[in-house]
Amino acid sequence: MKKKERSASGKRDRLLGIVTASPAAILLCIFTVYPVIYLIYRSLFSGSLISAEKEFVGIDNYREIFLDETFHKVLVNTIIYTVLFVGLTMVLAIIIAVWLNSSHQKKLNNMVEACIFTPHVISMVSVSIVFLWLMEPDTGFFNMVLTSLGLDKFAFLSSPSTAMLSLVLVMVWKSVGYYVLLVMAALQTVPASIYEAAELDNASKSRTFFKITLPMISPTILFTCVVASIASFRIFDAVNVMTQGGPVDSTNTLVYYIYAYAFRYGNPGVACAAGVVLLVLVCVMTYVQFGVSRNKVHYQ
Amino acid sequence: MGTIQLKNVKKQFDKDVVIENLNLEIADGSFTVLVGPSGCGKSTTLRMITGLDDPTEGEIYIDGQKVNDITPGKRDIAMVFQNYALYPTMTVRQNISFGLENKKIPKKERERRVKEICEIVGLTEYLDRKPAKLSGGQRQRVALARAMVKQPKVFLMDEPLSNLDAKLRAQMRVELIELHKRLGTTFVYVTHDQTEAMSMADTIVLMKDGEIVQQSSPRELYNNPNNVYAAQFIGTPQMNVLRDMLPDGKMLGFRPEKLYFHETDDPHITIKVQVATKEMLGSEIIYSLNSKYGTLMAKTDYELDTGAEASVCVPLSSVYLFDSNEKRAELDDKEVEVIKASFAE
Amino acid sequence: MQTYDRDIIINKIVRVLNVLLKAIVIVIFIFPFYWMVVTSVKDLAEALQFPPTLIPASLHWENYTHVFEVVPITQYFRNSVIVSVTVLVLQYLIIVPAAYSLSRHKYRGKKLFFGLVLLGQMIPQQITFLPVYFMFSKVKLLNTLLPLILPFISNPFGIFMLRQYFMQIPQEVIEAAKLDDASNMKIMFRVMMPMAKPALVTIGLLSFISTWNNYFWPLIMTSSESLRTLPVGVAALKSSETLQMWNIIMAGNVVLVLPILIVYIIASKKIRNSFTYSGIK
Repeated sequence: MKKKERSASGKRDRLLGIVTASPAAILLCIFTVYPVIYLIYRSLFSGSLISAEKEFVGIDNYREIFLDETFHKVLVNTIIYTVLFVGLTMVLAIIIAVWLNSSHQKKLNNMVEACIFTPHVISMVSVSIVFLWLMEPDTGFFNMVLTSLGLDKFAFLSSPSTAMLSLVLVMVWKSVGYYVLLVMAALQTVPASIYEAAELDNASKSRTFFKITLPMISPTILFTCVVASIASFRIFDAVNVMTQGGPVDSTNTLVYYIYAYAFRYGNPGVACAAGVVLLVLVCVMTYVQFGVSRNKVHYQ
Repeated sequence: MGTIQLKNVKKQFDKDVVIENLNLEIADGSFTVLVGPSGCGKSTTLRMITGLDDPTEGEIYIDGQKVNDITPGKRDIAMVFQNYALYPTMTVRQNISFGLENKKIPKKERERRVKEICEIVGLTEYLDRKPAKLSGGQRQRVALARAMVKQPKVFLMDEPLSNLDAKLRAQMRVELIELHKRLGTTFVYVTHDQTEAMSMADTIVLMKDGEIVQQSSPRELYNNPNNVYAAQFIGTPQMNVLRDMLPDGKMLGFRPEKLYFHETDDPHITIKVQVATKEMLGSEIIYSLNSKYGTLMAKTDYELDTGAEASVCVPLSSVYLFDSNEKRAELDDKEVEVIKASFAE
Repeated sequence: MQTYDRDIIINKIVRVLNVLLKAIVIVIFIFPFYWMVVTSVKDLAEALQFPPTLIPASLHWENYTHVFEVVPITQYFRNSVIVSVTVLVLQYLIIVPAAYSLSRHKYRGKKLFFGLVLLGQMIPQQITFLPVYFMFSKVKLLNTLLPLILPFISNPFGIFMLRQYFMQIPQEVIEAAKLDDASNMKIMFRVMMPMAKPALVTIGLLSFISTWNNYFWPLIMTSSESLRTLPVGVAALKSSETLQMWNIIMAGNVVLVLPILIVYIIASKKIRNSFTYSGIK
């Protein structure tokens, strides 16, 4: 009886909904759901990249990475990189965005924005190669400038103590423009009347910034930090082009470790186990992201 | 011919029954206004006629043909929406001819009809503009033109004037009446505004809680309401209804404009009142009066000061009697005596 | 009066400082690109010379012919164009119906489908690449360009964004089109897609830029030279026989950068808005 009540056009409508959804749904199942499941499944097996033969080894692969000192270093590196990258980028982005927002040179500001953002649309490979050249220890532009100023040469990517910092600087240079745009968008949501009220209350500029601007945009900033952290976990391109994880694993990060285990050492089981670690990290951060974004809505 | 019939129609959204059992006939060429408070089912009724909503049960006929399984586009109807629902990315010309295109009408014919309609509604110079560049009144005209150009059997309108300012609304009201006269097509018009309903309709369908309270001409609805609800829906201020003074829970009603401050020779009842507030409307004054039967409203040109005491007359010919279920009851000689007796003390 | 004068002077100084600082910032972000281009037209001796020359003594365009000789850069370029354009076009066939389904229909499993779209946005390539590699290896498609195309045409971000746009279209406009006897196809092409044009353009720009620049995925999915895309090919330049020949490497790099740079110069504001939108969605 109930079914009879549903009309023919309603049925057609539902069918159309399912038909139009299915191509995307199938592709997402093949290229997202299945790989995630298979990653976990495959992490329980040994075997090589070339042959289909594999052997169930339980949690051996996990034992291997957690006993591997390189893996410890890789995790620490990834976290150091993330903290340095997100911290530096966000601080710079806030400073630049607030600065541009407060000065009224529209044309010039637009040009600055456009220039700062340019590296973000350029391939990471290009940026890496250019900086590899600029940071070349002997003939690179940076060290030539240092020499001509009578200063000591800087090791940049060639020394374990400075490689990570150099890597972070390149990534900040590439990404900061994007985050400037995001912070500026957040600043635009602060109503002008609040600043006018603060001015009438005779609040100083720094007070206005710390007591009004920053609290108003902080939910967005927090959200952006979380998203930026998730992106940082995935760093690979720059590492592979500029340092290949070296020198002495000083820039070896999680994705590079996974890649190397699979394609250099031909041990996909261990690579998958490390992949599962990345999966867990991403899931945790995404959970945090949802919590933070709920906060963000509350402020608007 | 544009007759519309709804037979035993029921509409249910999930668990919510909006309309239980609706039977409605709309005559060809009529200007029928569905009126009632929000949530009374008037828009749902209109949408079921269009086919945008399907009835849960029951049948709908347009021009004698059952349309339950016919898609909205093939029902030979046109609709004007409250927010006009113009296609924002199309020009005025494209907006109007879109429906004709879908009907596979040849280009020459399309152009001719668009041109003709635009001259009627005065849009000719705006043909190549997008809706965003038009004023509210002009958008309203595009919506009308888009409906007219299809030469439908039935025009359906869902509160089409509610987004216009008061002055433009009054002007469009006149234009719609003239348009209806000229086209002679059936108009079904939904509104919650009783003034709009009274001034435009030749048939009013008053609805409440998914049921038809009364279907009649505006004059009939005003003079002969079926029940207290209908009586109080039409007219401002609304009809005075005295609830607790006749035996058997019967009620007595009379309109504010039928309440006189001078003696009449016709048979009448007299009530002692004191003026509580006074609202000048220009030609008329609206009084709120305190009496021992409660507050009464009066509309008259008679001048009194606030606080003044007076006796008012209500001719028995203007009195309505309702039974304890709020239904209209007959006012026979016996009842007249009862009323006279109740007011004698 | 005096304080007034002082204020004017301070204001002027602040403005000059502002312009100066902004100029410095612009140089910081443009100079590496300038250095890339300048190096690409120097001869090797000048490229490595101390002190470095900011303006090349003579223009050596032959570096570009040279880079075309050492590596099949035309082939890389062609692969990049094929992959980027195919992904760009094919994805619309997938995401437009998907967004339509999510925004305008009711059916069982819709929430599940939406969950899939969110999951797709959340899981990065760096997690799925190994299983996908095995999958393509199993069906023997690793020696084609398909692994570079298929995983990206169900662009979940695109579905999500387009869905938001479609949901903002007033129901009445769609209903008006139904009353005008327009078919579902016609409603899609004549009413809904024109209204979602900004979203369609944004999705296209972001997709093209990210596919063109993608290095990680083609690095893993292609083993033969003939299937490499520009980022992989150019990255390989520095480790091949051109080692340390920075002028040649930079010439290859210019070929990789130029198409995107041109697109960016033409549509700078639009692209920046697109990225901003994707960041705060």
